[in-house]
Amino acid sequence: MKYRYQDEMSPPPARRVTDVAITRFEHVFEVEPALMTDHVTQQDFPNWDTLRLVRSRADHLAWMHRHFADKVLSGEELLHDLDE
Amino acid sequence: MTVLLGDPVLAELRQILGPEHVLTGRADRLNRTRVPAPFPVHRWAERMPDLVVLPASTEEVAEVLRLADSLRIPVVPRDGGTGLTDGAVPLRGGIVVDVKRINQIKEIDLDNRTCTVGTGINALKLNEVLGRHGLIYPDDPASYPCSLVGGRIGTSGWSLIGSRYGHTRDLVLSFDHVLPGGRVIHVGDGIGRKITKSSSGYQLKHLFMGHQGTLGIASEATLKLFPKPEAEFSPFWAFEDYDSAYRAVGALARAGVATFAGAVLFDEWKVDYLRRDDEAYIPQPSSVKALVCAALYGYEDEVRAGGRRLLRIARSLGARYLGDEISEGDWAARHDRYATPLHGRTRSGQVVPMSWHCEDASINYTNLPAVRLAWHEIADRLRRESDVFDDWGMFAYTNGATGADYLTEIDIGIWEQRLDDAAWEAWVRAKRDLAAVTLAHGGSISACHGSCRAGEVDLVPEELGGGYDVMLAIKRAIDPNNIMNPGKYLLDQAYAEKS
Ligand SMILES: Cc1cc2nc3c(=O)[nH]c(=O)nc-3n(C[C@H](O)[C@H](O)[C@H](O)COP(=O)(O)OP(=O)(O)OC[C@H]3O[C@@H](n4cnc5c(N)ncnc54)[C@H](O)[C@@H]3O)c2cc1C
Repeated sequence: MKYRYQDEMSPPPARRVTDVAITRFEHVFEVEPALMTDHVTQQDFPNWDTLRLVRSRADHLAWMHRHFADKVLSGEELLHDLDE
Repeated sequence: MTVLLGDPVLAELRQILGPEHVLTGRADRLNRTRVPAPFPVHRWAERMPDLVVLPASTEEVAEVLRLADSLRIPVVPRDGGTGLTDGAVPLRGGIVVDVKRINQIKEIDLDNRTCTVGTGINALKLNEVLGRHGLIYPDDPASYPCSLVGGRIGTSGWSLIGSRYGHTRDLVLSFDHVLPGGRVIHVGDGIGRKITKSSSGYQLKHLFMGHQGTLGIASEATLKLFPKPEAEFSPFWAFEDYDSAYRAVGALARAGVATFAGAVLFDEWKVDYLRRDDEAYIPQPSSVKALVCAALYGYEDEVRAGGRRLLRIARSLGARYLGDEISEGDWAARHDRYATPLHGRTRSGQVVPMSWHCEDASINYTNLPAVRLAWHEIADRLRRESDVFDDWGMFAYTNGATGADYLTEIDIGIWEQRLDDAAWEAWVRAKRDLAAVTLAHGGSISACHGSCRAGEVDLVPEELGGGYDVMLAIKRAIDPNNIMNPGKYLLDQAYAEKS
């Protein structure tokens, strides 16, 4: 695996989602940078670390599900049954 | 009281517990001065215990209490330290009895479906062991990974899936309880350890639950177990207005589906907050004004059948299913609410570090809309007064399977570093006002955390009426020297005549 510092520290361009949030990676949202200037400032994050944080949250939630049940049912599938 | 190093008290405690289990260091004590409820950090020093002890058994707890009682030293029990009504916060110094070392699983009884544990254990850890036997202990607060069995008993806690399995009071069958003078009694239904129903004598189990450490310390508990569910279903739905969502949550709760474990209503303020600061909801269209979710647990065939029924009901009431990703992710996140984004906004929209605080009450279904408006008016007043406070909206969670009443919470972000005396006063006043609204609507001041914090505690005598006088008499009878968690629930009044 190659690691190029410059690539990692250059996030994809931001796209505005709402008046308070932007996005750079699919399903990952950031506070509009102009709103993080007075009391809490934004940090530079390598891209891999942003994605790692998001994935570990997903892993954590899957792990949490396993504490409560062996299987999670899909609502999309049940709705499909209803429509049949 | 102030214990000086070299005091005979210290020497005796070291003798009882071993020197390494008596902590006097500043960091050890500072870490046990507060809980996650907002706190005037500039007044941290007022809540420092003099020392901390870590007993390993019921006998050691009993010896500590015997000594403390004979010397009239205040004692504060502490378990996970996640309580949101300041129960584990010392108000008069003294000894914090941290029970985390009493965390063994003593027995798993597969035939009677119970287990017996030290009260320092956590349900998540316990369930990792029970899972190997196909069992679960379904006490599931949003603090699931970090609250412990003793604290669940001390607060008589509320569980997210309590509409199916019951809450802490239903799930804890019996426990060893150390009285303030050091005597150990066993409380449950009757005297049995594993009895789920008895009519023998007074029902003491309830008395020794939810007392916030003012009546002694639970050290070992026997818990009711269930088969670990095969399947879970947790649909989330969006609505275009609060009234439709309110009607839907009521209909879902009243549907009588056996696997129904709970439903939650999110109001417009909650949706605004989530759309501002929560990844899952930022992309939701502005037409989404309120949300509802439900959770079902059981065997797969039962959950499928119940799930279809609830989907049909929700659809007939104007719900739009939010999809599997949000439904699965957000439900799992309910079990660990620490992941809530801990930032809020000033009125100009700038991000500031905030801690989460939740004021809770039990409110009947029919009063939810009115309480919601009155509570937001109070939160709005706080917000207008200062940037220290941010209104993060309300949830209403079913308390039971019939939908009579709901754990109703308003979440307020608080910028603790900026809490000065004036802001703290405003906060305490707001808490009192929230509690007053609850009582005016026939509710109870707390469904889950307890009500002994500044502000709401002033209204507890009004809520309980003559029952509060009984509470004073019981406190005086059981703890004649007022050593257990003094200053909580205004219980010092119990000793006023005596002194
Ligand atoms: C993010 C978050 C989410 C939460 N969600 C929920 C929720 O969904 N449902 C809910 O009920 N609560 C919830 N809470 C509040 C809290 O987790 C509960 O009140 C929990 O029961 C406290 O357990 P603990 O082990 O942390 O107890 P602690 O905070 O240590 O103690 C709580 C009280 O019990 C007393 N106590 C502690 N140990 C004993 C003992 N062995 N014997 C007698 N008294 C004792 C203490 O003196 C104190 O008064 C939440 C808190 C947080 C921070």
